[in-house]
Amino acid sequence: MSQDIENELRRAMRAIDPPADFTARVMRNLPPRATVTAIAAARPAARPSLWTRLSAPVALAASLLVAIVLGQHMATQQAERQQLAGLEASRKLMQALRVTSQKLDLAYEAVQRPPPVAPPAEENRS
Amino acid sequence: MSVVNLQAAPDDSSSLLRLARDGNAAAFEALVRQHQASVFSIGYRMLGRRDAAEDLAQDVFLQLYRRLDSIETLQHLGFWLRRVAANLAIDWLRRPAPSATQALDTEAELAAPEVECDPLMTRALARLLGELAPAARAVMVLRYQEDLEVAEIATALDMPVNTVKSHIKRSLTALRGKMIGAQLVSSEELP
Amino acid sequence: MKWITCLATLLLAVPALGQNRGLPKGQITLPEFAQLADKASESVTVTLDPQLLGLACRFLDSSDPQQAEAQKLCTSLTGIYVRKYTFDTDYAYPKSDIDGVRKQLSGPGWSRLVEARSKKDQTDVDVYVLIDGGKARSLAIIASEPREFAIVNIVGSIDLEQLHALEGNFGVPELELETGKKPTAEKAPATKK
Repeated sequence: MSQDIENELRRAMRAIDPPADFTARVMRNLPPRATVTAIAAARPAARPSLWTRLSAPVALAASLLVAIVLGQHMATQQAERQQLAGLEASRKLMQALRVTSQKLDLAYEAVQRPPPVAPPAEENRS
Repeated sequence: MSVVNLQAAPDDSSSLLRLARDGNAAAFEALVRQHQASVFSIGYRMLGRRDAAEDLAQDVFLQLYRRLDSIETLQHLGFWLRRVAANLAIDWLRRPAPSATQALDTEAELAAPEVECDPLMTRALARLLGELAPAARAVMVLRYQEDLEVAEIATALDMPVNTVKSHIKRSLTALRGKMIGAQLVSSEELP
Repeated sequence: MKWITCLATLLLAVPALGQNRGLPKGQITLPEFAQLADKASESVTVTLDPQLLGLACRFLDSSDPQQAEAQKLCTSLTGIYVRKYTFDTDYAYPKSDIDGVRKQLSGPGWSRLVEARSKKDQTDVDVYVLIDGGKARSLAIIASEPREFAIVNIVGSIDLEQLHALEGNFGVPELELETGKKPTAEKAPATKK
């Protein structure tokens, strides 16, 4: 096969840039690695006298809110972990089946190949 | 994860990989920028649509983000990205989803390659490539776009080496025939 | 106290004597290959016991034709185990480990379906099935090439045609279960071992 068509293919298949905002969108869609930040936001800090007066009921309300959010977050995290584990297992399953069919293919090719023809005894191979 | 100003990210690519593995967002972003054209192009040439190619590329980098710890070297990173992009594209093409289409975009807004070439030939070749079966198309993209060797393509696509060679040979023959048939070239130009 | 020492030695030896005793029928013991994984340029390790396999099947995408076929296949399976290693140089892996696996497949019930040796490609492929009650209950494949070897063990009721349908492009040699005959698969003389 001539080099021309291969060179044409290489020219036709130069890399193409994605849209300018592609990287920004990738970064935006990354899952957060940070732990729950709601706890820090809800934790009552040392405040002036207004907080001193209202701290007990506010702290209680904040704690309840945190418990609900945290509980939901943990349930969501567990569901996400289960889903990730399931997706990973299914990926491994497909990978295993791919390897299996590839090796069966090898065996089939070897079986289908005609046996080599034995050279005549008097032939002088250099 | 610590967020670092992009200007502070080092130019040394090995350091980028190390920093990205440690959770440095700017370093990961720099790695994305380095490889986005390659991954996006694989998606585009496999799926034939910009939007699908963008979705695929997003998925690939998301998978990379989750599996950064298993990437050992920059060479491994490049190979891993190509392998995942090609296999994901094959999987998507095999799904009977409406968004996965064999036809190529006809819009001309793609960033033109900065190389002198016949745009008619380029478009025609791209169209003909889209008519190949998914596995054969992936082999051709990895060979002629990414310049991978036959053995590397075989590893990337979990295919025997001989099957890769067959795909290349048959695809070139088919492309040649279609180009002559489409009167893009005469049979004397492509012996 | 001598008899206590003898008894203890015997009890300690029992697990070694019955090496596969704890494994389900049709599952072979695969070496860890820990050192090989470091030397390999690429490795595939899949260990899906019944629980993980069930989980994997649930997460397959039935709208994908290949995954839908895989779903049909894995309903009758109880385990899938794969070890595949690719190297940058020829024969970087020890034959002894592979021979150890082959020895397990010479045990009762196992039948070698295909023995393929290719002098040209230096490829050896052996396909075994465990026959029980006239059906294939387990499949094992050992494939070695100069820069790659793979061991596959699929446990459960095997429908070879379903397995073949995954790729769709190749045929699996016919298994004549009734007579126990194997097809003539040896097309090239064995050149190794």
